[in-house]
Amino acid sequence: MPTPFIMPKFDMDQEKATIISWVKKEGDFVKADETVLTVETEKVAIDVPSPASGTLAGILFKDGDVVPVTQVIAYILKEGEALTNLPKADSPKPEVDSTPQAAASPQPLSVNATPVAMRMAKEEGVDLSKVSASGDRITREDVERFIASQKDAGRVTVPATPAARRVARESGVALEAVSGSGPRGRVQSADVSAAASSAPSAITEVNGREAEVVPLTSIRRTIAERMQQSFHESPHIALTVEVDMTEAENTRKRFNLQAEKLGQPKITVTALMIKVVAWALIRNPYINASFNGDSISLWKDVNIGVATAVSQGLVVPVLKGADRLGVSEINMQLIELADRARESKLKLSDVQGGTFTISNLGMFGIRQFRAVINPPESAILAVGSAVRKPIVVDDQDRVEVRPMMSLTLSADHRVIDGVVAARFLSDLVTGIEAPNMLLF
Amino acid sequence: MPEISYLEAIRQALWQEMKRDERVFLLGEDIGRYGGAFGLTHGMLDEFGPERVRETPISEATIVATAIGASLLGMRPVAEIMFMDFVFLALDQIVNQAAKMHFMFGGRTNVPIVIRMPGGSGAGAASQHSQSLESILMHFPGLKVINPSTPYDAKGLMLSAIRDPNPVCFVEHKILYKTKGEVPEGDYTIPIGVAEIKRPGRDITVVANNIMVMKTLAVAENLAKDGIEVEVIDPRTLLPLDTETIINSVRRTGRLLVVHEACRTGGWAGEVIASVVGSPAFDYIDTPVRRLGGKDIPIPYNRGLEKIAIPQSSEIEQEIRDMVEGRI
Amino acid sequence: MTKQKERNKEKMEVDRESFRDQVSRLKLKDETLIGLYRTMATVRHFELMADKLYAAGKVHGTMHLSAGQEAVAAGISLAVRQDDYFINHHRGHGHFIAKGADINLMMAEFIGRDTGYNHGRGGSMHIADFQSHNLGANGIVGGGIPQAVGVGLALQMQKRDEICICVFGDGAANEGVFHEAMNMAALWKLPILYVCENNKYGMSMDVERATSKLPIAQRGDAYGIPWACVDGNDVVEVYEAMKTAAEHVRSGKGPYFVETITYRYFGHSKSDRNLYRSREEIEDWKQNRDPIMRFTKHLLQSEILDEAQAQEIDNQAEQVIVKAVEFAEASPEPDLSTVLEYVYA
Repeated sequence: MPTPFIMPKFDMDQEKATIISWVKKEGDFVKADETVLTVETEKVAIDVPSPASGTLAGILFKDGDVVPVTQVIAYILKEGEALTNLPKADSPKPEVDSTPQAAASPQPLSVNATPVAMRMAKEEGVDLSKVSASGDRITREDVERFIASQKDAGRVTVPATPAARRVARESGVALEAVSGSGPRGRVQSADVSAAASSAPSAITEVNGREAEVVPLTSIRRTIAERMQQSFHESPHIALTVEVDMTEAENTRKRFNLQAEKLGQPKITVTALMIKVVAWALIRNPYINASFNGDSISLWKDVNIGVATAVSQGLVVPVLKGADRLGVSEINMQLIELADRARESKLKLSDVQGGTFTISNLGMFGIRQFRAVINPPESAILAVGSAVRKPIVVDDQDRVEVRPMMSLTLSADHRVIDGVVAARFLSDLVTGIEAPNMLLF
Repeated sequence: MPEISYLEAIRQALWQEMKRDERVFLLGEDIGRYGGAFGLTHGMLDEFGPERVRETPISEATIVATAIGASLLGMRPVAEIMFMDFVFLALDQIVNQAAKMHFMFGGRTNVPIVIRMPGGSGAGAASQHSQSLESILMHFPGLKVINPSTPYDAKGLMLSAIRDPNPVCFVEHKILYKTKGEVPEGDYTIPIGVAEIKRPGRDITVVANNIMVMKTLAVAENLAKDGIEVEVIDPRTLLPLDTETIINSVRRTGRLLVVHEACRTGGWAGEVIASVVGSPAFDYIDTPVRRLGGKDIPIPYNRGLEKIAIPQSSEIEQEIRDMVEGRI
Repeated sequence: MTKQKERNKEKMEVDRESFRDQVSRLKLKDETLIGLYRTMATVRHFELMADKLYAAGKVHGTMHLSAGQEAVAAGISLAVRQDDYFINHHRGHGHFIAKGADINLMMAEFIGRDTGYNHGRGGSMHIADFQSHNLGANGIVGGGIPQAVGVGLALQMQKRDEICICVFGDGAANEGVFHEAMNMAALWKLPILYVCENNKYGMSMDVERATSKLPIAQRGDAYGIPWACVDGNDVVEVYEAMKTAAEHVRSGKGPYFVETITYRYFGHSKSDRNLYRSREEIEDWKQNRDPIMRFTKHLLQSEILDEAQAQEIDNQAEQVIVKAVEFAEASPEPDLSTVLEYVYA
């Protein structure tokens, strides 16, 4: 097979090189290590040797071209070889690292990024699918920019003294739930102790009327700010469908019989819902997106947040890569996340990186409601309770009682038009009413 | 118990030890008939004679070297560097020789010398006669650096210093010379390397040395009226530093302030803070850890400028208040 | 030719004639002279071996070799008492050996072993043997000169009759402490024999370029210290000068200053490429003025030794060094867990 001649990397941080001139031309015989062309990197001009002996052929770039490193620029043909037996498509090989990644999500399957950018992303634990490329490939600068922006975005860090943190750990109080009395809102240990002993708050007078004044906890403050931001920035549209849960219920029951035999926990409706939602999101990428001002990021990962009520308020733990998980896996992760949320042990990575949120108030008997989009996402699904109702089930106007559940999608009209939202919901309904579809 | 001055306390220690141990002798400039630049050796020439109260030419390096050489043959010299500022002239002998000889020679010899040096501002002596350089001396393994703040500590620590087989830098403060305190007449020693909690308190730990101890104690008295209880720790020895006492204190109070006259930058407060913040006491810190040091300027001549060149009582008090009352 | 060189040449010629007279005047027995020869041979072999070990990568750091200066070390050691105190400089292997150091322990220290004089903590520049009153070599040029004042002072205060010999080089004579120390030693009439081993070069600087007025010893006049300047490569000459000096010092008359003119063959330290002197100069000293060669000639001419005996002694000296290397190489390194020891007494 012809030997590919790639543009070599001479420097750890090098991403491209400019061809100054070809020393040999198409058809010339070259020896291994003989200089074939001269290139220029940021620092210096370098002679590039041939990787093998043979005939130089299939030159793909000319003098003056800027070529990314590891890109094939030509081929060396041995006796009898021809350009027709070219090896398979030549997207640049990402550098393979055998150490497992500690941070967020696994690398997406096909991200167009330079090797340097990929290495940096791996080292910094950055999900490349979240990085927008300024050119045709994600470069190091793009990754650096992303990292810088992440430092500010959505971090739930509570300013607290070391002593406050210790008391919080020891008494099981969530720092987010404590209001800080120190300068700049810093939580002092006394604040945590007070929260732990849940001293009753004083009833005071506010504007001539009596009220119990509850100081704003970190978590409430965050929710307040973000909901306000969401409502302010994203023009919300809301679409509602009703879905017949019969098939879904049956599927779930059948599954749970097997689950018991396998010693696995029973799956919940939510887990099944998440699976179908994930499937529908793949089919409707604009629902799994974010508005960037002058562009829209269609996220490659499907990370579904599940709004969860905890004593201090609302948290949204995220199920990462839901489209690639089976229902039982989704179920198990849900259980874990719920446990962690209840014990105030959610890690930062648990609540970061979401691309879509589901909110379910069905357990409270709420039939239908509209949720507020969770920025920077573009849509949120509000799930109501399943109510047994008579509905027309066929075109003979036969009526049966079926469990009907209302789903309301709130969508950001900057990204999602009514029709787009409608198609998503339609897919959802199809998927829920015939869950076996998802197998195919 | 008799009350004597810091200066007299040191003289007493030297006097009593020279009587007790004939190997002890003094070396320094003008320590004979003149009685020492500050009068510390007053009367000692008549008592002990010119051999043991040995006046030297102005040769700081050789003063210290002589002490070193003599100590190799079993003598116990106490050398004086008239003003701490002149220590630089003798630093090769102190640091490259005395501090390292026990180590370089594999433990086969000791250098049991004491080098006395008064430092500190407040006497209008200006830049080259007013420095506090103990922060530098702390940096040399093999040396011990003592810095007493009271007459009681001065005598007990001087006796320990002379009896210690290692080279000891005994840092005095010229303004403290006149301060008085109760000092036992007999023989007693204070262990080197042990800090003292001069005043217990529950709200904040303040670590201070020589003249700042006095200032901080006065400030603490004042603050007590407002219900703020300050724990004042005097390390007494800077090398080896008793970090344990300080760490345990910060565990209890959750707040740490270090106060010294020496210039802020590179001052020994950094050493204390690094030791505490890196220790298990970290989890008990409830307020940012702070330090007050001399301004980063040479000591000025003008009285007003000289005064404000180093931390004032009012600044110490304000800093403590701000820390305890949650404004920092 | 400088005054110094002229004087040296003269002396050499005079020596050849009066060797027998000189040694008989000084009452130096044959065994004593052979002992001097043995001492010098031992020193020479130690230095040569040190150089070899370094080239073989067995010694790290650097070393300051005194090959060529053996007569000074040997001469002094004969002139003073075993229990006299010695303060040395970094080129002091010769003086240690001459003073009777245990060469095994020296070699072990040299290569950083735990059995060395300083448990491997000091290395070549900081060898000391306090038991035998050898107060150590000093890595700071001139560092020991003022310390000798302390030693002398202690001897005086303790009313002892040992003296302190303080050896330093021509470069050290220009350190500030040299002047402080000379002044105080003279002031207090301390029992110190100051020896300046003038080997012509500081590190790379010719003594004539570094010193405003030669000989260095004449600085004694400034401090009221009697002085002498001798051919450092004539071991008997050195001996005589040191004997006179030691007697003066031991009698309580105060310090004495002897300068010995000598030469070192090796560079200042291991990184010295001898760019500051010519091959010819080094060869000249080696061929025509080598102290061991000169002394051997005298011994042969006076029939105190014959060629075979001289060679035998030389071989024996070499063997001592070879054995020392074996001892050292077989010695353990210090246990790494002891890294924090010896900082404080």
